[in-house]
Amino acid sequence: MELQVTGQTDTGAVRSANQDAIDWCVEPSSGQALLVVADGMGGYQGGEVASRIAVDTVMEVLGPALQDPVLREPPGSESRAALVQSALDLASERIEGRKAQVPDLVKMGTTIVLAWVSGQRALVAHIGDSRCYLVQNNTLQCLTRDDTVVQNMLEDGSIREHDVPNVPFRNVLTRALGASDAIATFSEVLLAPGDQLLLCSDGLTDALGDAIWLTLLSQAESVQGAVQSMVAASLAEKAKDNVSVVLLSTN
Amino acid sequence: MASLSQLVDHVVVTTFEINRPEVRVGRRSDNDIRIDEISVSGRHAVIECVPNAYLEGTVDYYITDSNSTNGTFVNDLCISARQRLNSNDRVRIGWNEFRFVDEDENAMEKTAYILD
Repeated sequence: MELQVTGQTDTGAVRSANQDAIDWCVEPSSGQALLVVADGMGGYQGGEVASRIAVDTVMEVLGPALQDPVLREPPGSESRAALVQSALDLASERIEGRKAQVPDLVKMGTTIVLAWVSGQRALVAHIGDSRCYLVQNNTLQCLTRDDTVVQNMLEDGSIREHDVPNVPFRNVLTRALGASDAIATFSEVLLAPGDQLLLCSDGLTDALGDAIWLTLLSQAESVQGAVQSMVAASLAEKAKDNVSVVLLSTN
Repeated sequence: MASLSQLVDHVVVTTFEINRPEVRVGRRSDNDIRIDEISVSGRHAVIECVPNAYLEGTVDYYITDSNSTNGTFVNDLCISARQRLNSNDRVRIGWNEFRFVDEDENAMEKTAYILD
């Protein structure tokens, strides 16, 4: 199974700075890929700093594991999850360290979502409200559960989906890197040839209803084209927030 | 503190404080908010104040129609289930127009932040 990954991040139609950070890498020799999206927050330059630290730390810690031929036989999901959490713990420590040095950054934090694909198996980890979707057999499935107050209220029946855009505290996260509770939630899926994994920040989901996603993805002639058309469509909808997409295609 | 203001021709005529966990709205005299008008049912609707379980210091307000004859509407939509109210929502009880105001809501930060 060949893995193709690309990504794009955009400031959006309203914001003046981009606080999202993305990265990815593909190791054809080991059949592995790593995709990361982080959405930073917290005043001044804080959001940009936090999301950059998070993404760079994840790539730094997990990158060698992707190249390591010893790991060509993919380790079990448990040990991969432990390695991911250790990368996130280190990112969290580094964010705390920067906060201690720079008083202006004291409110910074970031979400993170990452997918570590190893052969057919994709390990997905997230903290906050950045999401991972599986595109399989022309259906779209969200693999992550937002760590937000609003998600909790949806699940306990306090509100319904159509109430969400009106709830004043819809942006409040219950977990983030840079907060005390930085434990990631993990899940694993099996990929078949033709499947895609899409990681995104909430700038995409807020601007672009997911009804049109499958059309955009299926009409694109390449992974690059698919990512470009998703970002362009969200900008056409006047995306209020930064928009980031990282897409993996298999064939 | 939240309130429900009755409007006649877009002018506030009466303001009712939502100052207890459950405020009953209807035509009968035992309601907390009594509206003596023919389109209003005896027991028409209930407004609940519920502390948010996930966000300390926040109170959510919910309105439920009490099986009224002429319905309860929020922003012109007839409600069929318990509906969360947002500040400045228009609430209609039968043919009577109200505006719901939650003064605390405007104080909330609009940008993303972390519960810590």
